[in-house]
Amino acid sequence: MIYFMSLLGVCFALGALAVASNPSPYYGVVGLVVASVVGCGWLLSLGASFVSLVLFMVYLGGMLVVFVYSVSLAADPFPEAWGSQQVAMYGVGLILVLVIGGAVGGFVECWKLGVVTVDGEGLSFARLDFSGVAMFYSYGAGMFLMGGWGLLLTLFVVLEVVRGLSRGTIRAV
Amino acid sequence: MSLLHLGFYSAFTLSCLGLAFHRTHLISALLCLESMMLSLYLTLSIWPIENQAASFTLMPVLMLTFSACEAGTGLAMLVASTRTHGSDHLHNLNLLQC
Repeated sequence: MIYFMSLLGVCFALGALAVASNPSPYYGVVGLVVASVVGCGWLLSLGASFVSLVLFMVYLGGMLVVFVYSVSLAADPFPEAWGSQQVAMYGVGLILVLVIGGAVGGFVECWKLGVVTVDGEGLSFARLDFSGVAMFYSYGAGMFLMGGWGLLLTLFVVLEVVRGLSRGTIRAV
Repeated sequence: MSLLHLGFYSAFTLSCLGLAFHRTHLISALLCLESMMLSLYLTLSIWPIENQAASFTLMPVLMLTFSACEAGTGLAMLVASTRTHGSDHLHNLNLLQC
């Protein structure tokens, strides 16, 4: 089981590598989708099903869908693919930075396996993450309202940023 | 360091480097920012599980809320840049030059 989770961890890092070294934003979005699916699987393996579901629906189903059609607005009509020399050198350079950082930072001597799951303390009435997020409605009501107000404010911010006709941001001078 | 912690730590570092070395498109930088937010979400989710503290499970959901706000604002700037300059290439954003 621990090797399966290590595989998910490696796939998550590979997805982030695909986002960082993308030849074109289309492939970056593919890397981000793979990374978020693998991250959901990772959280599910630990037993945290609610935060995994929130990630899946809000992040993958909401935010990444918006990113995908923004990419279709903004990216090139003829993108370059993964096989080009420059992209391969870029990816190898990023991996090299990571490996050297891990070696210099002393990772090799002190690594260990092991994970604590949600049932680490025995049985309970409700799962750990369900009972935690439910506190949004009791002790966390203030932050809940702040989060909702921030989302409403963002709506108006977006409206003002994309307003054209010489009244929006980023006008050519 | 646990081997699993290395997974999202390296994902965060790789996305940070990708944001620093962004090349042509603004949306590539926004995607690296989203990848950083994803690795932060996983980190914040795994921390209460490892310490068995249920009330800190609020934090990743709250972080996702504000990350959605930030992603929306970044995409609005992308749309504004495309409407003004015709593309989201980063060399178009050149007002601050010495």
